[in-house]
Amino acid sequence: MRKTVFWWVERGLLLLISTIVLFPIAWMFLTAFKRPRDAYSLSLDFSPTLSNFVTVFSDPWNLGDMVLNSVIVASVTVLIAVPCAALAAYSFSRFRVRGRKFLFFLILSTQFIPAVVIVLPFFLMFRSLGLLDTRLALIVVNLAIVTPFVIWMIKGFIDAIPTDSEEAAMIDGASRLRVIKDIVLPMAAPGILTSSIFCFILTWNEFLFALILTRRDAVTLPVGLVSFRTERGDLWELMSAAGVMITVPIFIMALLIQKHFTRGMTAGAVK
Amino acid sequence: MAEVQLVDVEKRYGSFLAVPKQSLTIEEGEFLVLLGPSGCGKTTTMRMIAGLEDITAGDLMIAGERANDKPPKDRDIAMVFQNYGLYPHMTVAENIGYPLKLRGMDRKTREARVQETAEKVELQALLKRRPSELSGGQRQRVALARAIVRTPKIFLMDEPLSNLDAKLRVTMRAELKHLHHELGVTTVYVTHDQMEAMTLASRVAIMREGRIVQLDTPKKIYSEPADLFVAGFIGSPSMNLVEGRITGGRFEAPGVSLPVAGADRGDVVLGIRPEDLQLTDPGAAPISGKLYALELTGDSTLVTLRNGRTSVCTRGPADFEAPIDAPCTLAPKPGARIHLFDKQTGQRLDA
Ligand SMILES: Nc1ncnc2c1ncn2[C@@H]1O[C@H](COP(=O)(O)OP(=O)(O)O)[C@@H](O)[C@H]1O
Ligand SMILES: [Mg+2]
Repeated sequence: MRKTVFWWVERGLLLLISTIVLFPIAWMFLTAFKRPRDAYSLSLDFSPTLSNFVTVFSDPWNLGDMVLNSVIVASVTVLIAVPCAALAAYSFSRFRVRGRKFLFFLILSTQFIPAVVIVLPFFLMFRSLGLLDTRLALIVVNLAIVTPFVIWMIKGFIDAIPTDSEEAAMIDGASRLRVIKDIVLPMAAPGILTSSIFCFILTWNEFLFALILTRRDAVTLPVGLVSFRTERGDLWELMSAAGVMITVPIFIMALLIQKHFTRGMTAGAVK
Repeated sequence: MAEVQLVDVEKRYGSFLAVPKQSLTIEEGEFLVLLGPSGCGKTTTMRMIAGLEDITAGDLMIAGERANDKPPKDRDIAMVFQNYGLYPHMTVAENIGYPLKLRGMDRKTREARVQETAEKVELQALLKRRPSELSGGQRQRVALARAIVRTPKIFLMDEPLSNLDAKLRVTMRAELKHLHHELGVTTVYVTHDQMEAMTLASRVAIMREGRIVQLDTPKKIYSEPADLFVAGFIGSPSMNLVEGRITGGRFEAPGVSLPVAGADRGDVVLGIRPEDLQLTDPGAAPISGKLYALELTGDSTLVTLRNGRTSVCTRGPADFEAPIDAPCTLAPKPGARIHLFDKQTGQRLDA
């Protein structure tokens, strides 16, 4: 291949963009393994240590509790949101009900409301319910945020499945629920898995509601990061270690999605 | 086994009338073929019987019971879909066995049934594959096997052989015919292949633009087509149709003068099948013209002659030879059927 000027410009720009995007992440990963005195230097010449991770998991930071909170909130949200959303998405995709389009728009339109507008009402509501600083409150809020998005996403996958196989199954003697179990779910599985991971990531990274609705017991990882800004200054090396804890699971999941995403596309139905 | 009745059934898609109001009774144990050009409403009619398409107006009766609102699974139907409708995530064996599985048949009996059915459609070697690893014809055979793996009340088959190669199509045709003889299940069979229709059907319903234009035994459809559409559609090569008029008990057209029964009138179309004509010596032949084309088909030669607007075809001996544009004369064979149609309405004129 002839390497034209364009080729060089293209590579140059890609490199530039990657650097801009990846620099903070690389910086975070490096800092997480530095001693406090090295934290402010950009030098790559330092002796790496795991002490930051030990510190964040012990008193007074107790990152372990936050990890647990985050895992529980995100998992329970996914476990409730995805099955509900899958059924809703199937109905929106297959049943020609009057007002279907409007209803679907209504559900999607909840996504256009800025979170800051509703965070205060939520706060007041949970306060009167006595649910402030509980995982339950976070799960409820996350369900409200995430479910419409997941419905929309799964509907896209189900729309792409031709109805022929479902009709054949109904003729063969399957009830609607049996059709969903035997035909739709296996065919939509890659899409549903992808949506689940998206849902998990969204919940995992949710910050605003968790910040306002939790104080001590139900604090999640993103909120936990804030606590490393102390009167003694910002503890960058600890914040970075916690940041790594937040980022790594998401990285892994993103990789998983990537693999399943291509499979979801090629699994396609058969004419 | 069941009788299927469509009573004043109509199907609209929005404002588009796909199947206009009409009635049709499919007798118990009958093999009814819906025959017609593509887009004439065959699939739609079949999907209404299956319960996959809402019926806009009218009643569908299965075994004497109104079935309009019965879900497909309760109709005890097996269907071959035009576009197969296979389960892409299941193997061929699982596809074929699925109707049995739904009926709670135990694994062992099921596998035996699947094996047996697969042999009928020559799929034994492919049972472990998935549909995406099959050719069109193989997929079609899976769809067929899935339908015939059990004995339902009604078989619905939507062009089940359309994608098979010629040889396999003939084998499968015989297989289906035998199966029907063996089980005696009421069958509705859709095709646009008249050969399939003629060989399989107890009765043929010829459809055009959603309407059934003739419903009769294959023999009757062949020997007494109800109108010009049926006359032109059935038979290969198709019936010769000549426009002309009747005067003094004779049908007259350029190069044609035949005695017919019927009152004097203009705007008549005469129909005569190529099989009912033969080449004759020149002289007072009733049909004469110039040789237009010769097509060798193997056991015979198709001879087409022209005279003005008139174009007539017949079968001649395989060794028939003559130069193009040579004068050529034909006469009806003894006992030949001559059909007369109204040119305006297309309807058959019965003497
Ligand atoms: N879902 C649909 N919506 C609108 N029109 C349809 C639909 N399905 C079929 N049609 C129309 O109904 C007519 C009959 O179709 P079909 O029954 O599939 O014909 P065939 O099987 O005889 O080829 C066609 O003109 C087709 O375009
Ligand atoms: Mg069709």
